[in-house]
Amino acid sequence: MAVSAPALGDAFAAIVGGEHLTTAPSQLAAAAVDGVTPRWLARPGSLDEVSRVMALASAEGLAVAPRGGGSALDLGTPPLRLDAVLDLSRLAGILEYVPADMVATVQAGVTLDALDRELGKHGQMLALDPYGGGSRTVGGVLATNASGQRRFRYGTGRDLLLGARFVQADGTVTWGGSKVVKSVTGYDIPKLLTGSLGTLGVIVEAALRLHPVQPASGSWLFSFTSREAAGALVVAVLASSLEPERLAWLNAAVLGLVGSERGEAALAVSVATVAEAVTSQGAELGSMASRLGARVSALDPAFWTRMGGALASSTVVKLASEIRRLPFWAGEVERVISRHGLTVSLVGEAGNGILRAAVEGSVSPDTWAREIVAPLREALAAEGGSLVVERAPLYLKSAADVWGPVPETALAVMRRLKAEFDPGGVLNPGRFVGGL
Amino acid sequence: MALSLALLRELEGILGAGGVVSTLEGRMVYEADMHTFYKGAPDVVVLPETTSQVVELVRLCRREHVALVPRGSGTGLIGGAMAPVGGVMVSLTRMNRILELDFANRCATVQPGLINLWLSQATREAGYYFAPDPSSQMVSSIGGNASTNAGGPHCLKYGITVNHVLGLEVVTGAGEILSVGGKAHDHPGYDLTGALVGGEGTLGLLTAITVRLLHVPAGVKTLLASFSAIDPASEAVSAIVAAGIIPAALEMIDETFVRAINEGVGAGYPKGAGAVLLIELDGPAAEIEAQAGRIVQICRDHAALEIRVAQDEAERALLWKGRKEAAGVVGRMSPSWILQDAVVPRSRLPEIMREVQAIGARHRLVIANVFHAGDGNLHPMILYNDLEPGELERAKEANDELLRACLAMGGSVTGEHGVGLDKASSMPLQFGDADLNFMARFRRVFDPDGIMNPGKLLPSHPACGEVFRPSAPRLPAGAWV
Ligand SMILES: Cc1cc2nc3c(=O)[nH]c(=O)nc-3n(C[C@H](O)[C@H](O)[C@H](O)COP(=O)(O)OP(=O)(O)OC[C@H]3O[C@@H](n4cnc5c(N)ncnc54)[C@H](O)[C@@H]3O)c2cc1C
Ligand SMILES: Cc1cc2nc3c(=O)[nH]c(=O)nc-3n(C[C@H](O)[C@H](O)[C@H](O)COP(=O)(O)OP(=O)(O)OC[C@H]3O[C@@H](n4cnc5c(N)ncnc54)[C@H](O)[C@@H]3O)c2cc1C
Repeated sequence: MAVSAPALGDAFAAIVGGEHLTTAPSQLAAAAVDGVTPRWLARPGSLDEVSRVMALASAEGLAVAPRGGGSALDLGTPPLRLDAVLDLSRLAGILEYVPADMVATVQAGVTLDALDRELGKHGQMLALDPYGGGSRTVGGVLATNASGQRRFRYGTGRDLLLGARFVQADGTVTWGGSKVVKSVTGYDIPKLLTGSLGTLGVIVEAALRLHPVQPASGSWLFSFTSREAAGALVVAVLASSLEPERLAWLNAAVLGLVGSERGEAALAVSVATVAEAVTSQGAELGSMASRLGARVSALDPAFWTRMGGALASSTVVKLASEIRRLPFWAGEVERVISRHGLTVSLVGEAGNGILRAAVEGSVSPDTWAREIVAPLREALAAEGGSLVVERAPLYLKSAADVWGPVPETALAVMRRLKAEFDPGGVLNPGRFVGGL
Repeated sequence: MALSLALLRELEGILGAGGVVSTLEGRMVYEADMHTFYKGAPDVVVLPETTSQVVELVRLCRREHVALVPRGSGTGLIGGAMAPVGGVMVSLTRMNRILELDFANRCATVQPGLINLWLSQATREAGYYFAPDPSSQMVSSIGGNASTNAGGPHCLKYGITVNHVLGLEVVTGAGEILSVGGKAHDHPGYDLTGALVGGEGTLGLLTAITVRLLHVPAGVKTLLASFSAIDPASEAVSAIVAAGIIPAALEMIDETFVRAINEGVGAGYPKGAGAVLLIELDGPAAEIEAQAGRIVQICRDHAALEIRVAQDEAERALLWKGRKEAAGVVGRMSPSWILQDAVVPRSRLPEIMREVQAIGARHRLVIANVFHAGDGNLHPMILYNDLEPGELERAKEANDELLRACLAMGGSVTGEHGVGLDKASSMPLQFGDADLNFMARFRRVFDPDGIMNPGKLLPSHPACGEVFRPSAPRLPAGAWV
């Protein structure tokens, strides 16, 4: 039985409390996702409330977008439909944390910064460092499988999420995984949720694997006059027994932004271990790089935050390729994009074959789709790679699919999964690959 | 369920007569994995050599509603690779080639039947290895490792199998070839690779696996510390990790095992030790030197009786010898045993070890322990004698109590061996109905007719009748989840 909009508003308010439900048009406009304005913004204060909101939305056939810090809400295709934004910011507690276990169970709305502060007191960290603002939440980071340079050593959310409590589209509260560092009990549902962009469930609690903060660390910049030489250093590091924590690829534009020396390409590398090993690994890296003609300089730790700032553009493209092909793709992206009078800042996770290009300047939707996205995407796909438009103004988003094609058989399975767990299309409908 | 002659002919048509085993003696070889409590011979065993044969097999079994059980080396300890309701067993031992070594991308693609250790042997000279190292690595297959999401001593630092699988080729229970993941590290869409690892043959058959290779570390240091009892040894484990040191391996061996190992394999572990810790560090030389120093200090602070540090490769191999051959000496201790594989949060280790001893005492049974202490992954081995009336029953009760004690401390039903048939009925101890229902529906997405490894991984508990809705009414009873 359909209920009228005011009655639905009352029903939402009855669940979360009137003060936690927003219906004022001006505030709703601020909560719009990719230009689509919701009718309600609800801020539940408990797991039970999330469950009841979802049950109601599901019964009424509404579309819901979960929201964490709101820093990546525009990731994905614009919503097909949007009725309610489910804001998880009130669910920001650390539920269980025994430092000796190096596991913390937290609510999804806790921000990375808040978590960092708490874990730092015990010399520990969540080794996830995606770029972006300090308001990113654990739920948002996991839902987008966002990661940063530390993934080279510690993996991504996929490797660090041990267990998750989530609410299915119909309101069913579900737990998957465990709260211990090693468990193979049943299917690894946390892996399924990681990177699913909130299309299979709303993550409400996460049990996370933590790591010790190392006693010492060092960071260096190795800049080169040629991309090939920078590429050769990546190969040399990967073929050695060095164990860096980060291995970042930077292009000339980023070097300018972070106020470093000039060069055509550079690698920023950090090492984190005991003091003696920082020194010895730094020396080994240094001589390896010098042999390849690098100019070497030491970096302060704040460099890593500054570097993330290089990606603060309204248009960001992410490329994933084979690791050894990263230097080639770095050149290709610059060539293809700058041909159109645009500037490109490139930051790469060089040990993982991931490149992000922040684009500045104006471009027509047609040029964007046909001369930039399509050729790069096709050439990458031919090598088993992919290109995702992580952020772009709407006029560019409507010109070229943000996700690109997914192999047909895999997409068929993904569609069956979505149909099984969200048959009514309640959760972020239309936003994910293949229109999921 | 007996197979019709017509079906047998069709199987031979797909595989050739040499790829089909249908004699009684032949089938009996496959009636159990290493958990020999559970026996169930398949109606026929097939040995495919190509992915397309596997596809044809699955489609045929689907058409005929016949159960299909994948099998690697059969070293599982969970009653996974056996056929409780008969059907077709697919042995993947003939698909055992390395398809590609790609050092520049630090990965390799292999067929499922490849033996784990062979991969590290094939890559060592170039400076690489495959990190997951179950103690069965000399015989278990990478397909089996990926299907059980196997662990091993070195998983403390490097993670379990799923952390090392980049891509899969899978023939699902629906008979489709699914290629997921690959050499690139991120792929848009759901992480099907991650969710398929650990599927225990219930979602599909893995026919190719792309795994990460790691570079051989610059240095290795192995230490052995002995203690008067399990208690201070457990405390030392917690203290090492609390000091921010994640060793490559941190293994515990209790008094009973120390004695049996010394007698059985002459490892020369300290005589009279109540517990031994085997600790391995790997990484840059300066790092392991500094960390080894800290560890020695921590062990001393916890009243270690003796600390040995291997000075060369031969000494290192000797320290590991006892641990690696522990499984082989169990026979010296007892005619029969039950092996548990549960997990507790690391900080609860001292407490759970006291509980293990108490449970043993209560049931008048010896419980011997050799396990992955750094992960909190216990392997209590409950020793009993079949010939003594009532002992088996007491052993089973003790085993059950152990599992419940681990879960009461916030642990997990299985740390590395998997669920299989053995622990399917224990799943409700860790998961509620909604959680299990989610898993059952997940399974159905890959295996709509419930033909893949029936009876394994999920409980078919009568109380769950409402929760698990079988989708294929023509299935034999008990074949779904
Ligand atoms: C300047 C900038 C640069 C960035 N660069 C990078 C980068 O280089 N690499 C990278 O990986 N990311 C990058 N990001 C993205 C960003 O770091 C992450 O995606 C972010 O952590 C998302 O967190 P959030 O809490 O803000 O999520 P939100 O923006 O609130 O939500 C993101 C998505 O996740 C869903 N979601 C949120 N919470 C939940 C939940 N609890 N359960 C289910 N679904 C949920 C939402 O519906 C939405 O689709 C960047 C962001 C910014 C602002
Ligand atoms: C002495 C000893 C020590 C052990 N030590 C460890 C240890 O340290 N850590 C650990 O984790 N385990 C250990 N094990 C258990 C066992 O070796 C592992 O579970 C191993 O991964 C199983 O591999 P297998 O090839 O023998 O698989 P099998 O036993 O043949 O099969 C295991 C499961 O995987 C499925 N399967 C196998 N191959 C495929 C495939 N290609 N596609 C789909 N499904 C498939 C089967 O159906 C079954 O459910 C040990 C076993 C022994 C006997």
